[in-house]
Amino acid sequence: MNNKTRHHPDTSMLLEFSAGTLDTAASICVSAHLHFCAHCRDSLLRLDQVGSKFMEDAETQPVDDALLDNVMQQIDRLDELSDPTLTKVTSEAKGVEGDYPPLVNKLIEADDKPPRWRRLSGSVDMARLKTGQNDFEVALHRICAGGKTPKHDHGGLEYTVVLKGSFSDERAVYSEGDFILRKPGDTHQPMGAQNGECICLSAQSAPIKLTSPWGFVMNNWLRISPR
Amino acid sequence: MTGRVNALQSSVKRSDKWSVLLTCVGESRDRSAFADLFKHYAPLIKSFAQASRHEGWFPGLNEDLVQEVMIKVWQKAAGYNPEKASATTWIYTVARNCRIDMLRRKSNTQHLPLENEDYWHEPDEETPTSLLQQKRSEEKLRESLSQLPREQDEILRKVYLEGKSHAEASKELGLPLGTVKSRVRLALQKMQILVPAEFQDELTHEQ
Repeated sequence: MNNKTRHHPDTSMLLEFSAGTLDTAASICVSAHLHFCAHCRDSLLRLDQVGSKFMEDAETQPVDDALLDNVMQQIDRLDELSDPTLTKVTSEAKGVEGDYPPLVNKLIEADDKPPRWRRLSGSVDMARLKTGQNDFEVALHRICAGGKTPKHDHGGLEYTVVLKGSFSDERAVYSEGDFILRKPGDTHQPMGAQNGECICLSAQSAPIKLTSPWGFVMNNWLRISPR
Repeated sequence: MTGRVNALQSSVKRSDKWSVLLTCVGESRDRSAFADLFKHYAPLIKSFAQASRHEGWFPGLNEDLVQEVMIKVWQKAAGYNPEKASATTWIYTVARNCRIDMLRRKSNTQHLPLENEDYWHEPDEETPTSLLQQKRSEEKLRESLSQLPREQDEILRKVYLEGKSHAEASKELGLPLGTVKSRVRLALQKMQILVPAEFQDELTHEQ
């Protein structure tokens, strides 16, 4: 858990995340970034406060007493079923893999078929994650140390969060927690750092477009399948 | 009363009654404190539910949301940390998450691996700000929020209360998306909530 992230989602994404209006795939990536970035967690808390002020200042709506009775009965039943302190302990004790954000671990564990690494090229593997939405392909990408990816443009939006290690492109070096948004017209050639493999979480709304004339041999890159 | 509740009462000048009550619920499963919280928050949550302009939301869901949120409050109160947020902010986040989950469950036939609260998981070693700092920052925020120009306030309300995205807000208000985003940015600047520009990804252009 560092606070060295240098690339963040923009304020308007963070606000939509706070209000719950950001789409699922983008929210997954923002959430993964928040795991690493205390700065954005702080901004988020303040954005949540904005939402709470709106709720607090709204004109109240009368609620029937019967609803309170109903809720009291339900919590009685719940308390018979489980001791809340116990559930808290077990959920914390449940193993979390490495430094992955808990949400990423949950996606990995929740899948009926555990995600499998698939080779995309000599230096890149990919494992798709099931997220229950159809607009973005959400996946983990693994670039081996020093691995090169083909130079490409983006057919749609692509969110990336570095989960482990680092990679670089023509513009910067991205390390753990960094959040990167690429749009059509943003051409780059990511390269894994020399000192170890790099694992990223990514969400793509459309396939990338290879800019090299040899693009046709890299067909694996050229489709996405959201799930 | 427990040490934490005492500390809470003595360190806050203008004691936030609701945060004290929520702490009591969390620490000693205090049913009468919970009933007091219900009487205060249920009408606010119902109003928050009624404000929803999400596709697929209907008035019959308003009281369902109140129930679901208050039961979650009971179940999760032990995890409430008054040094981090006021009871109102904390309950608002529960209400927001439940509202989205109810909509997702309604509109989705496939199994969803995540609940909305999964997105807000916080690292355990978080060092909270002091209670006093937290109170001050909430008060300052409230003050600057009340002073926002109408055109900025209008957009924030659409996003937070009605649950509209920036794109939907721009369509409804007949404003370009860029204008919506810049009004949001100005509003947040006034409230001093901004990711400093130098931190932002250099390729993240605004339209």
